[in-house]
Amino acid sequence: MTVTESLPGAAAAPEPDDDRPAWRRPPVFPILVIWAGLTVLLGLFAYFVPARLMGEPASDRMLEVQTTFTAFSLASAPVAGLVWAVTLYSLVGWRHKGTEMPTESGHPLRGHGRTQLIWVLLSAVLCLFLLVWGLVLLNPPQTAADAAAPPLVVDVTGQQWTWTFAYPGSEPGTSQGEAAGEPVQTDTLYLPVGRRVVFHVTSKDVVHSFWVGPMAVKVDANPGETTVVDVTPNKVGVFPIRCAELCGLYHAQMQTTVHVVGPAEFDSWLTTLRASAPGPVGPSPEATP
Amino acid sequence: MTTVTTVVGAAAPTPGPLAGGLIRRLNVLTGVVLGLLLAVAAYWLCEEFLPEPDTGNHKVDATTTITLVTWAIGFLIGVGAFIGPFRWLTGRDLSHEDEMFLAGKDQGVSRYFRFTTDHKVVGIQYLVAAMALFAVGGTMAMIIRTNLAAPGSQLLGPTQYNTTVGLHGIIMIIATIIMVSGPFGNFILPIMIGARDMAFPRLNALSFWILFAAIPVLLSAFFLGGIPTGWSAYAPLSDQAPPGMDAFLVTIVLFAISSAVAGANITTTAVSMRARGMTWVRVPIFVFGTVTSVALALIAFPMFMVAMILLAMDRTMGATFYVASHGGNGWLYSNLFWLMGHPEVYVILLPAFAVLLELAPVFARKPLFSINAAIFGISGIVGLSLFVWAHHMYMAGWAPELNGPFMVTTEIISVPTGLLILVLLGTIWRGRIWMRLPVMAVYAVLWNFIIGGITGIYLSDIPVDEATHGSMFVTAHFHYTLMGGALTGAIGGLAYWFPKMTGRMLDERYGKIGFWLAQVGFNVTFLGMFMVGLAGQPRRVADYDSMFAAGNLVSTAGAYVIGIGMLVFLYAVLHSWRSGVPASSNPWGAKTLEWQVPTPVPLENFAVLPVVTSDFYGYGEEDQDDGPPDGTGPELVLVGSSAATAAGLTVGGGRAEPTAATSMPTGGEPS
Repeated sequence: MTVTESLPGAAAAPEPDDDRPAWRRPPVFPILVIWAGLTVLLGLFAYFVPARLMGEPASDRMLEVQTTFTAFSLASAPVAGLVWAVTLYSLVGWRHKGTEMPTESGHPLRGHGRTQLIWVLLSAVLCLFLLVWGLVLLNPPQTAADAAAPPLVVDVTGQQWTWTFAYPGSEPGTSQGEAAGEPVQTDTLYLPVGRRVVFHVTSKDVVHSFWVGPMAVKVDANPGETTVVDVTPNKVGVFPIRCAELCGLYHAQMQTTVHVVGPAEFDSWLTTLRASAPGPVGPSPEATP
Repeated sequence: MTTVTTVVGAAAPTPGPLAGGLIRRLNVLTGVVLGLLLAVAAYWLCEEFLPEPDTGNHKVDATTTITLVTWAIGFLIGVGAFIGPFRWLTGRDLSHEDEMFLAGKDQGVSRYFRFTTDHKVVGIQYLVAAMALFAVGGTMAMIIRTNLAAPGSQLLGPTQYNTTVGLHGIIMIIATIIMVSGPFGNFILPIMIGARDMAFPRLNALSFWILFAAIPVLLSAFFLGGIPTGWSAYAPLSDQAPPGMDAFLVTIVLFAISSAVAGANITTTAVSMRARGMTWVRVPIFVFGTVTSVALALIAFPMFMVAMILLAMDRTMGATFYVASHGGNGWLYSNLFWLMGHPEVYVILLPAFAVLLELAPVFARKPLFSINAAIFGISGIVGLSLFVWAHHMYMAGWAPELNGPFMVTTEIISVPTGLLILVLLGTIWRGRIWMRLPVMAVYAVLWNFIIGGITGIYLSDIPVDEATHGSMFVTAHFHYTLMGGALTGAIGGLAYWFPKMTGRMLDERYGKIGFWLAQVGFNVTFLGMFMVGLAGQPRRVADYDSMFAAGNLVSTAGAYVIGIGMLVFLYAVLHSWRSGVPASSNPWGAKTLEWQVPTPVPLENFAVLPVVTSDFYGYGEEDQDDGPPDGTGPELVLVGSSAATAAGLTVGGGRAEPTAATSMPTGGEPS
């Protein structure tokens, strides 16, 4: 690393026999090489790893979340790569040998206007990209199908340390096939695949958080308030529901499952549930939509 | 500019009694005794006379709260914290001898166990307190990770587990808040700006001893039923919690007072006591970072204190600020909490980052790359940090219309943060990196903090937060910022200022082994935690699904490596403190003022006060010519009350030679 051997102040001057352009000479060129290498590595990591760790998505929303995660990771790869390229290079290229204090100082550089300007502009552009992406996804447009089909409404009630789900009675004319009958409660959630569900979430005691991981459904259950979250499950299967807000002694055990089934199976499940219900169960007063 | 001033016309204060006064008999032991006595008396009075309410257990909570507050007041009286106000009440004042005694003159080690006002004593006290808190909080972390080593809650019952998680959280939060502003902000900062002590030396001691009184209060939570809430103490869970919660809230109120006192003191000191010529652009960046941090804490911490006072009223008097069934609302609590909670992250980060910015030029042997960018970065973070709090509440259901605006402010904060990274990179750019232990913290932080920062950007995005909020991903993220970033930076600061504070060099061999072991263990631990977080493991759980077993085992193994590394580092610190190699007054060849005074630093630091004519980062600039004529070269002109002033003598030869920085006279006791 010839540059580091030269005197401070003279360090910027090219070697006499070096007619390469500035970006081809150390330290810029080796840093560019390390940067490119790191960016590719980090990019591969960003593309393949995080989304897989999040598991198979069970709703379009979760797919969007995973895509966002991957996109942000890809956008971050060159940033992290640049920082680490400069630090890695400095470990070799600019390191003072030995443990005694260097007798000579480094290049007395007090800022570099153009670099600072570019850095701020680039980080602002990246920030803008994240913002626009996030704001667009924040309010996903309702599809025509969503608007046409009335959603299934499920009242979710958290209490220490269990979840209760209430299906309201069928309303004439809007029923999308669920068996007619009284409102019922259950502690296991069943949902029909492909149909929009709206959860009305509340709590009987402290703050809980209703979290269906693979569907990217999460909203706090607050006592005295009803919060709303919706999702369209797109995958048949059994998925975990966990509490995501520390709620006391058995917070860790406050979990159950959601069974996403075909519409026919859902109807028959609901019919069975209504038949086996001990009697009409009115919707809890605080959970009325 | 003489330093001895006589105010003509002002009556001299009436001297108090000389040696033998009460002031000389008080120490930490008398504090503990008086505190315990008054606490027992308060407990008895409460039991005897507090009315028994019809509902709830308000009496238990009121008794606990009053007893603990009485302990703190009794301790502070017993340690001598109010000796000044007591004297004023009796129409007297402290004599010069009293002040010198309070400053710890000629007292040896015993001054560390008294209400001592010397800022260097307070700095050491804070350092020891922070290390003790880290030891306790770190042990709790080991217990937590042991419990989570495999599914099935290996070690603890749910009450113990939740309490351990909560106490680990608050102990580490307190420790990280004080770890830089306490030891270095008190010991180093006044010397760095050329002052003889803090602006309010007695308030300085008061801030430490309030903190000291708060620690047993916090630990008592273990024996009062624990805290089931974590350190965030969300209401209404904290409303229904056992009396351990009262201990928690008394601790927070005490700590808020302590940090307000310390913050006002440090801010005043830096604003009004800088050496002549030390304009704001010449102020060392560490001072800037610490002052903005404690000033931010002055705004932020009262929010938490208010939240805790409302909680205390809920618990002890049946107020219903947070009880939904009586018209209260938990969102009031979470807003107040996060109004403190997010600025608090930067209260922790800024001084640690400022430490790195301070030591990077020393070990790269070149000037700080653009102090303006650094100041813009720090100021931008401070300003924005007050407007981002509700990103912790995206999923709370509170005011969903505000999610978008809070996402905007949160993501914009990455721009000033990035500027600080640029300043670090620019400072090591083409430097002569002198690879000693302090600068290794810069490298570790550049690795850790990039990860912590990028994962923070994910969390700032609302859709991603739907998958990650409340999960182990969040836990891993904030450990990367607070531990990988802030604590690592503070360790760099400890290695850097250790020679000045203790007079001995920190053992680099064991220091490095411990430091890098902890760093490797840290990355293993929290990468494992990112994995299980993404896969959907909630945070703060005592038990988990078997699908998370692998990642948790990795985390636990990594945590033990951190533990071993920290123990090795602790050994290096303790061993070096006792019997390390004696340090010269400026072993790093640094230019800031604290390295120009002798080691050990004499009482009142400077025999003659320095005058500053440039900033302190002129590495390499003096080599180019014999000091630029426009005065940008480092130039230390010493002017003071000594004969040197009368003779018009400037020490250091006016234009600084490369050795000028080390040629200042050794300071003696001021007359």
